[in-house]
Amino acid sequence: MVSASAPLQIMDDDDEFDWEAAVHEIDVACRATAAEMPTVVPDSNCKQEMFVNTDQAMRKKGKFEANLSSAPSTRQTTLDKFIGVSSCNSRKFEEKAGNSYGQLCMSNSIGNNICEETEKLNEFVSIDAEAAKTWIYPVNIPCRDYQLSITRTALFANTLVALPTGLGKTLIAAVVMYNFFRWFPEGKIVFAAPSRPLVMQQIEACHKIVGIPQEWTIDLTGQTSPSKRAEFWKCKRVFFVTPQVLEKDIQSGSCLVKNLVCLVIDEAHRATGNYSYCVAVRELMDASVQLRILALTATPGSKQQTIQRVIDNLQISTLEYRNESDPDVLPFVHERKIELIQVSMGDEAIEVDSLLLEVGRPFHARLCTFGLLPKRDIQTLSPCDYLKSREMFCEKPPAGFPQSRQGEFLGYFGALLTLHHLRKLLSSHGIRPAFEMIDEKLKQWQFARMVGRNEALLKAKLLMQKTVSHGAPSPKLAKMLEVLIDHFKAKDPKNSRVIIFSNFRGSVRDILDALKNIGEYVKATEFIGQSSGKTSKGQSQKVQQAVLQKFRTGGYNVIVATSIGEEGLDIMEVDLVICFDANVSPLRMIQRMGRTGRKNEGRVVVLACEGSELRGYMRKQANSRSINKHMINGGTNSFNFHPSPRMVPHSLKPELRRLEMSIEEYVPRGSKAKDSEPSPLPAYKDKITDAEKDLLAKYFVATQEDAWRPSLIAFPHFQAYPSPANDVLHSSRTLLLIDTMQHLQELTYSHDRNPSAEDDDVPDPCLRVLPVERQDNVIEDSERYMDRAEEESDKEAEGSGQELQETELQKPKTWLHTFLFASEFVSVDGVGNVLVLSLPQLPLGSSSKRTEVSNVASPYHLMQDYKGHAEIPLQPMDNHPLHPRPLDETVHEFSLSNPSAEDEKKFDMAEEILQSPVSSRMQNETDISDQDLIDIELSPRLTNFIKSGVVPESPINDSETWKGNRRDVLAVPALVSSLNLETERFLNSCEHKKKEHVNGSSEEMDILCLNDNGIQTPPLDCNTGAGGQCSSPVPVVKELQTPVTKLSNTSSSKDWLPDSGVQPESVEQQCKFRRLRKLGDCNRKFSTETRNQTGASEKFLTSRRADNHKSTKLLKAPKSGKKKQSEDAAAYIEEEAEVSSDATASDDEEDVQGGSSYEDSFIDDGLNSTTSNTQAGSSRVDMMAIYRRSLLSQSPFPRPPSFPANHSPDSVVQSSKMDGSGSSTGTRHNNAPQTGFESTARNNKDTSDGVPTEILESRSDSRKRKFSFHQAHSLPMLNLDREFSLLSGAARENSSVHVPVEMAGESIDVFEDDGFYEGIDLDALEEEATKLLKQKAECSTKKITGSSETNEQNLGILDIPSFDLGF
Amino acid sequence: MEENTFDPELIRAIFRLVWEKRGAEREKNQHSENEAEAGPSTTKRSRLTTVNMNALKVSCELLRVLVAEAIQRAAAIAEAEGSLKIEATHLERILPQLLLDF
Repeated sequence: MVSASAPLQIMDDDDEFDWEAAVHEIDVACRATAAEMPTVVPDSNCKQEMFVNTDQAMRKKGKFEANLSSAPSTRQTTLDKFIGVSSCNSRKFEEKAGNSYGQLCMSNSIGNNICEETEKLNEFVSIDAEAAKTWIYPVNIPCRDYQLSITRTALFANTLVALPTGLGKTLIAAVVMYNFFRWFPEGKIVFAAPSRPLVMQQIEACHKIVGIPQEWTIDLTGQTSPSKRAEFWKCKRVFFVTPQVLEKDIQSGSCLVKNLVCLVIDEAHRATGNYSYCVAVRELMDASVQLRILALTATPGSKQQTIQRVIDNLQISTLEYRNESDPDVLPFVHERKIELIQVSMGDEAIEVDSLLLEVGRPFHARLCTFGLLPKRDIQTLSPCDYLKSREMFCEKPPAGFPQSRQGEFLGYFGALLTLHHLRKLLSSHGIRPAFEMIDEKLKQWQFARMVGRNEALLKAKLLMQKTVSHGAPSPKLAKMLEVLIDHFKAKDPKNSRVIIFSNFRGSVRDILDALKNIGEYVKATEFIGQSSGKTSKGQSQKVQQAVLQKFRTGGYNVIVATSIGEEGLDIMEVDLVICFDANVSPLRMIQRMGRTGRKNEGRVVVLACEGSELRGYMRKQANSRSINKHMINGGTNSFNFHPSPRMVPHSLKPELRRLEMSIEEYVPRGSKAKDSEPSPLPAYKDKITDAEKDLLAKYFVATQEDAWRPSLIAFPHFQAYPSPANDVLHSSRTLLLIDTMQHLQELTYSHDRNPSAEDDDVPDPCLRVLPVERQDNVIEDSERYMDRAEEESDKEAEGSGQELQETELQKPKTWLHTFLFASEFVSVDGVGNVLVLSLPQLPLGSSSKRTEVSNVASPYHLMQDYKGHAEIPLQPMDNHPLHPRPLDETVHEFSLSNPSAEDEKKFDMAEEILQSPVSSRMQNETDISDQDLIDIELSPRLTNFIKSGVVPESPINDSETWKGNRRDVLAVPALVSSLNLETERFLNSCEHKKKEHVNGSSEEMDILCLNDNGIQTPPLDCNTGAGGQCSSPVPVVKELQTPVTKLSNTSSSKDWLPDSGVQPESVEQQCKFRRLRKLGDCNRKFSTETRNQTGASEKFLTSRRADNHKSTKLLKAPKSGKKKQSEDAAAYIEEEAEVSSDATASDDEEDVQGGSSYEDSFIDDGLNSTTSNTQAGSSRVDMMAIYRRSLLSQSPFPRPPSFPANHSPDSVVQSSKMDGSGSSTGTRHNNAPQTGFESTARNNKDTSDGVPTEILESRSDSRKRKFSFHQAHSLPMLNLDREFSLLSGAARENSSVHVPVEMAGESIDVFEDDGFYEGIDLDALEEEATKLLKQKAECSTKKITGSSETNEQNLGILDIPSFDLGF
Repeated sequence: MEENTFDPELIRAIFRLVWEKRGAEREKNQHSENEAEAGPSTTKRSRLTTVNMNALKVSCELLRVLVAEAIQRAAAIAEAEGSLKIEATHLERILPQLLLDF
């Protein structure tokens, strides 16, 4: 009742008498005071403790009453005795303040003892008196009487529950645990199960039965580190452990043994020898811990002695045994059919068996002669006999036995054991495992030495080898498959589960192999232990659990298990168990059988080979039957039991209370929601008002994804000013944000101003404003231009301005978008940082320019948005033609006139386009000064600059007025490029803008320049006001270099050459890109060509892609430059040779072409380029594509056809232009990359792309201009062509191809092309292949698109050339 | 540190909510990765993040300051608009800077 300490353990029959008397006394007293108690009169034979415990449990209440009413002295004495004997170790705790019960007891003399007792019990663990008044039995699960009665017993005595499998031992354990959990608020409860999967299974099962709160439960296995375990031992209360962990933690002291109140031991039959169970219990007993022990097993043991050992080891005082045939159990036992299938061993096996027997005989005989073995037939000897004999032999060898032969005789034993094992394997698992084993054994020198030369063995081995090589059909395996197939025919493979047991891993593997062949519906896997053997790797416990999980859920429907699967696995659906080997202990057989018949009836198939295995099976079955009779009547006849403490003070008599348990969802420990479930949230919900709840529901719905989320970008304007701060001041990051937003919003403000200024037509104020400002700027610029430069240009500017206004109007529509884009730009660029930074910088550079720049930026955006606006492109187109004519007029002299015209055109274009205005302003200013200085010369230089790289050129321009203009142009392209890049990134709309730019190539160029100045290098912009410095800021070094070269070039119209030279340097890095871009460009151009064919202007509008436009523009600009250069043809050629780089070569080519009256073609190219640009979609891709395009820009040749007037010359010119564009793009690319490199990689790319495009635009403008000029200057074109031929360029080839078709001078071009090939080959070779592929595809598409046959033809030709260009 | 701060248990519950969500996601990802070794995961990785008391207290205070500041700022905006009620839009206006301030 109190403690099972040492003295009590000794209690035997002698003590029994006293106990019995005491119990009787108590009972009598209880009856006297509480007659109503339904006492279970114990069998007089029963052990007293059990009796006492059960009876007391039933009558606690009565006792308590008795105590209160000053119980009779007799009882007191018995209790004294009772307590005194049992609680001798716990006397010392008297001083403990008693609880209410104790105090109650104090009131009477008897109570003292009881109180003492309770105090002792509560020394470490106080009992909750209120809770202890009852014990709870859950009614969630249908009540089974035997479970209830066993539970009642188990609550008050250490009990061994021997219940057949599948009858709910776990429930008993769970109920007992739960009640102890209730009774002892600080007590700790341990559930020990022998393997981790079982632990996990039990923790869940227990939770489902009684719902012990999960925050108090923990599973501790070897996987938990000891330190962690120590912590858990402190903070948790219910532990599911493996016995090893329990043992270790008790020994290490991390387990607070004093707080233990209940220990449940699952699979208690293992508690033999030094198994952890026994060690743990011994430790607990040594620590004189009073706790309840509940042992569960289905198979307490196969012999009376083993059961007794378990009882001893676990300090059991009661045995609760139920048989499947017991009346209270019977209704719950599912029918379980056990079939024994006898399988013949097979002739070979029998033969081998006899041979093996033969092998062993000599050893046996020799051992027998020394009396070391019982003189029986070798067949009847078991391994035990061998082992025993060997042990005896080692301990005391027979007298006169020579020491020297001892080793030899030990070897005999070993050999015999091995042979026996072999035979067992052979009989139960077939020949293959036996053969494998013999093979393995023979490798070990000991066995090999003993029997290696044995003829019989060799013969047996040979025979086995033969059968194995034939597949070693195992009769058992075949039978098993038969059974399995029949089973799955009868049952749904999805719902049926089969476990196949085998003793050896080797045969597990064989079985699995066999199962693989019988059909899809069998999903089999193995379930084996952790240890890794020689032949097979073990399964980690994790894998084991995964296997079980899948087996439960249906992922597998067959598992082939070793002994690990025999115990405890509670899988309801298992309806067939196949025992592959029968000769196992009855214990294990029962466990195996217990895996089925749990929920439904099950079937057990035992496969036994005739012969030894079958005999063994029969013998063991008989054995297990005989044990049952020991167990009846609680085993009181057969076993000695031990006293156990009564955990609940006698003053308390817990009464049964059936209770519906509310069980929370079990949360597997992995997801660990346990801890959080219970308390906190509800508590808050109490505090929250209804209104607050509504708010929560509105804004915070934990799981709902569409819950309201605050937007960070909803109020950008508010971010421009510091919000009022109270306790927390603004951080530097916030200030940065504010600064940035202010800069950004300046743009918007300027835009706003603009709209106020002019356009009333524009629907959207913002849009209008911007355009107006731009227009104003443009107008101003144009005016300045007019005044300073040329009247024609002024006129053009006006026209362009009007057009611009229109375009602006269109742009305004997109304006809003642009704003958004602008912000986006900032962010996008933010990746590269450049854009954002540049914007602020620009304003800093020059106030007016800053605003312009900002405007420009917005315009850019607008431009991007403009994509949809077809009108704009048309207008630019118109403007271009117009401009080109005047330009041509002016240009007649050469590049000088052209540049001026171009500049004017550009200005006009810029003016026309809202975006352009800003750029135009900038450009105009710069241009004005530059133009004023040297309009004629500058124009070619400008073109050169543009081609080479806007920035570098610009410095040159600065030095020279020409250069200045050109620089501006270049800067514009750069800006355009940047814009284009941005636009590309942002949207296709950007592309549209670019298209627009292309249309107003000059304007766009200007814009681009402005953009470049503003965006790329604000300081440069300031400088640009003077000249090309604006462009240079980013690529200062390059610019510097270029300026120098330019300067030299400019002096002799060799500007191109220096530029080209400069460009090559920068270009080299970009070469690859250029090539790629060129290819892309070519493709794009082709497409554009087709588009042009369909409707040049319309095509531009529709298919305008910023990149393409840019490229085309760039091409155009270079072309113009080329035209100028063409003037300086010889010089150009020289320069080109010097450059030697493809880019430079292309530039030269472009220049030459431009020079060669390709003006019309230029225009066309521009259009084409725009279309092509539009085709090219993605910015990044475009980058590459731009290079390609630039190279391929030659493809525009087909476009010329679209322009009827210029067709033949145009074609030539176009070809040249194309080449030029390609070169220019290349150069531009170089420039852009340079700048980009300086700024940021991404930005660089973008800018470079943009630059090329800008250049193209400028070129296109120049081309347009040139068109007129070209018409006038047919001769120059020829010269240019020649120059091109000299320069040698793939682009030229394209042009040449086109030229041959259309022009007489084409032949020259062809030559040029060859030359180009030579120059280009190095860089382009790699790209060629890809380009070719792409071009082919493009060509086909282009051809398809081509509206006019001629155009198509041209396109086709162009396509081919473009390929060449790619080369 | 003010007395009148958030209830640490509330904050802990909120934290835990977040951690659980994250843990669940992580677990999901893990499961997809090593399905063969699925099963109840008891590894350290899957164990929930925890917070010790001091960290919790500091978190409470930080959150209190954040919320107070947010409300004050939003209130200023609301007042400027002549509104007596702080709406979500007010919060949105001060949110970017507020988040940068913390």
